[in-house]
Amino acid sequence: MAKKTKVAEKKIPLKTWLEADETLRLPAIVPPVTYPIETLVPEVRHQTPAVGQRATRPDGRLHGLGQTKYIDDLAFPGMLYARIKRAGIAAARIKSVDTRAAEAMPGVMAVLTGREIPVNSFGPSLKDQPVLADDFVFHAGDGVAAVAAVTEQIANDALDKIKVEYEPLPAVFDPVEAMQEDAPRVHAPNSNIYATKLIKKGDIEKGFAESDHIFEGSYRTQMVEHVPLEPHASIAVWDPNGRVSIYSTLGRITLGRADIARTLKLPINRVRVIATIVGGNFGGKNEISQEPVLALLSKKTGRPVKGTFTRTEEFIATTTRHPIIMDYKTGVMKDGRLVARKVRLVLDGGAYCSWSETTLGKACILAAGPYNIDNLHAEAFVVYTNKTMTGAMRGFGAPQVCFAYESHMDDIAEALKIDPLDIRLLNAFEEGSPSPTGQVLHSVVVKDSLRTAAERFGWKEPRS
Amino acid sequence: MKRRGRGIACMWYPIGFTVAANPSAAVVKVNEDGTATLLTGTVETGQGSLTILGQIAAEELGIATDDVHVVSADTDTTPMDTGAIASRTTYVTGNAVRLAAEKAKAILFDVAAPMLRVKPDQLEARDRKIQVKGYPQRYLPIGEVANHAQVVMGEPAIGAASFNPATVALDPETGQGKPFSTYVYATQIAEVDVDDETGEVDVIRIVAAHDCGTAINPMLVEGQIEGGISMGIGFALQEEILFDAAGRQINPNLTNYIMPTSLDMPDIEVNIVKSYDVTGPFGAKGVGEPTAVPTAAAILNAIHNAVGVRITSLPATAEKILAAIKAKRAQEPKRIAAAR
Amino acid sequence: MANVTITVNGETRVASVPPETTLLKLLRDNFNLTGAKLGCDVGDCGACTVIVDGKTVNACLMLAGQADGRDVLTIEGLASMDRLHPIQKAFEDHASLQCGFCGPGVILSAKALLDEVPDPTAQQIRDALSGNLCRCTGYTKMIEAIQEAAHSLHDKAA
Repeated sequence: MAKKTKVAEKKIPLKTWLEADETLRLPAIVPPVTYPIETLVPEVRHQTPAVGQRATRPDGRLHGLGQTKYIDDLAFPGMLYARIKRAGIAAARIKSVDTRAAEAMPGVMAVLTGREIPVNSFGPSLKDQPVLADDFVFHAGDGVAAVAAVTEQIANDALDKIKVEYEPLPAVFDPVEAMQEDAPRVHAPNSNIYATKLIKKGDIEKGFAESDHIFEGSYRTQMVEHVPLEPHASIAVWDPNGRVSIYSTLGRITLGRADIARTLKLPINRVRVIATIVGGNFGGKNEISQEPVLALLSKKTGRPVKGTFTRTEEFIATTTRHPIIMDYKTGVMKDGRLVARKVRLVLDGGAYCSWSETTLGKACILAAGPYNIDNLHAEAFVVYTNKTMTGAMRGFGAPQVCFAYESHMDDIAEALKIDPLDIRLLNAFEEGSPSPTGQVLHSVVVKDSLRTAAERFGWKEPRS
Repeated sequence: MKRRGRGIACMWYPIGFTVAANPSAAVVKVNEDGTATLLTGTVETGQGSLTILGQIAAEELGIATDDVHVVSADTDTTPMDTGAIASRTTYVTGNAVRLAAEKAKAILFDVAAPMLRVKPDQLEARDRKIQVKGYPQRYLPIGEVANHAQVVMGEPAIGAASFNPATVALDPETGQGKPFSTYVYATQIAEVDVDDETGEVDVIRIVAAHDCGTAINPMLVEGQIEGGISMGIGFALQEEILFDAAGRQINPNLTNYIMPTSLDMPDIEVNIVKSYDVTGPFGAKGVGEPTAVPTAAAILNAIHNAVGVRITSLPATAEKILAAIKAKRAQEPKRIAAAR
Repeated sequence: MANVTITVNGETRVASVPPETTLLKLLRDNFNLTGAKLGCDVGDCGACTVIVDGKTVNACLMLAGQADGRDVLTIEGLASMDRLHPIQKAFEDHASLQCGFCGPGVILSAKALLDEVPDPTAQQIRDALSGNLCRCTGYTKMIEAIQEAAHSLHDKAA
């Protein structure tokens, strides 16, 4: 016999609500307890001065009680559920989209295709991403049509009834291949190399010529996803004055509002974006995804429409981290001083630009590492491929280049027989050091961080 | 057998957008009893930004964290914010909040000055009081001043402000310029065990030393570092989106996309490096992304230290490590292992 | 339609739902108990963890019909009218939850553990949480909080 769970003591007597309902006419479904009124505020929140306190979080209390309302926990009367059909093919021209069978299904209230989006393009810098694909598909996760239905199950079933005819096009998946002149053009007629960056400092050839040793290394990183526990979700609700309210998991509501207004051709003050507490972002919820789709479905049906991404859609239809191919060449003096560094970065830019320009810029600026190097040449390219779009993910290129420059540093240290800690202390930035872009750095504590970590770790202690 | 190794990685990371304007605006309203409400357009995505911004407003007004109620994330009612991105919230939105609170405080000082028979610039706000600098015995409770301001003088204490980091555009030929207003620095040292018969890596402990300027809330900074390290471990050893020949993802699910669970986490020791940035709110900079940056590098360096193989592509799966170990052994002449 | 009678957080509830309805959907949509979350719907992430007859279960993998006649504890059943459960209190004091989405599942996994093992080691806690994915926190502060909750539950019982 399984052990009975000890449940919290309740003041409500233990009898069925059905019995009570007969005599007292109480509602059959009892709302959950939203209290305790634990008005006992932790003392730390009453301390002054406030900065430096280990203050507890008021939202932390709600989380612990399960009372935080995320988008999927919200419901509006008459609300419909939306789902988006994903292309399943990496590069194609859409010949036709037939939604008649889906529309005829009982319970399906509206269908939407790319043709119906007033301005079907958006993007934080290059506006190269469609809200729903209309003429072309650029990666397998592209949305090609959407439905709104009275239950999620019916919406799901309706997707299967939408018939899309594709004309497959040549696709390219490797960024180095995509850089070649004869590679298929992802966003024809534009070149696949959609942004570049260059940082030059000092005289790189002279630097190499003066070095005692030259080291080279090549590194590459993979595509990963943010995997926020809460999937992307939104609800669109119109009011009779033609204002749309979008409840959303967006992390940037001002930008989101501007993009929604632009794609729907509305003045900005007719769009309201409300974000709840979001269940994790990490960079993946910083641009609109399904919001204009839900707004249009809601307008068509006259009812609120909710859309939540499945976990599969989180992987195939939202942004990911750029895989980067990094080539390093460093000139070093025999005492371990870095005097010249040449870096070449090729970023796999996925099907759409998204946050790639920012990532490119940061990766290039950070690529040399926090080290004083007089002669520097760093160039970076970001390239379209027919894969899931790459965008902002915690670090904007920094985790990738850090992996490269720190692995490279250890290889140099080993070859010169210098302790990895010491070679870093020799070269690291100090207060007032110039950065790769010539900026005078202030509040520089990289050596402090090295020394603190090494001391706390016991780096210099003999190994057990 | 298991071989232990240690690896070190340090990094630098900027706060805010690259050159481009990324402003944040905030409104601070002091209520008639001296508590306050903060309106901010930023979105709480779990990092604790609303708590931090409340602490910054409270510090400026001299009240406690719990005295500030934070309202956020509604484009109709909260002022614009470029968003919780690029680790900018503590620094950019925090500065906007501090400036807004300062403006509200100025109204309180103007009202309190004649009540305390001094000039406004002689006043400071501390411990829920408006008091005279250098002579704190002469003070008024902030609630009394706020009530007097709104109800008697008809001047509610409301302050609105915005902030944008100071940058210089990068030269298109050479990339020279000042792309960011400030940077943070960190080091992580990882200790790993590598099984040289299976290639499996066990991360035993990580010691992290992170700079965030002033730590507005050290407990939340620790949480960010621990969380960032977990993402770094996944990036280093486990996570990968795989595509088939037709460009479709093979593992778009959590069964086959391996990411860290509680069993994969090492012992983590967090150290916050002492630093103060004069351009940040009360010296603070930021911490959200930097925490996930050096982990993979430290772990890969530790693997190299443990078994002498250099894995140059992530993730460093057991298969890759084992293949590299075998390849290395094939090249080495046979010799008898020396006593350790 | 499947008719189910389930004791949820000490109260008897009844519902009539399509047979393919999961316990998760039943709790969220029919009983308005939105604490259990939908993270993947296939039992990989643990965000839907609830306690059924004393054992943790992924509610997305159990059909509503399978829960008929059983005793279900959700996050909403832990606190009483005037105080937080010690696990909830410890999580708040240690800032163990950041975005909070995995929180209800983690707290219930912790509760099930502490019901069986009043004084768990850190490794036992890690094992108990191994089915709950968390992307924000790195689990460290959760383990600290659960250890503290174990002590305070122990002190209460003593």
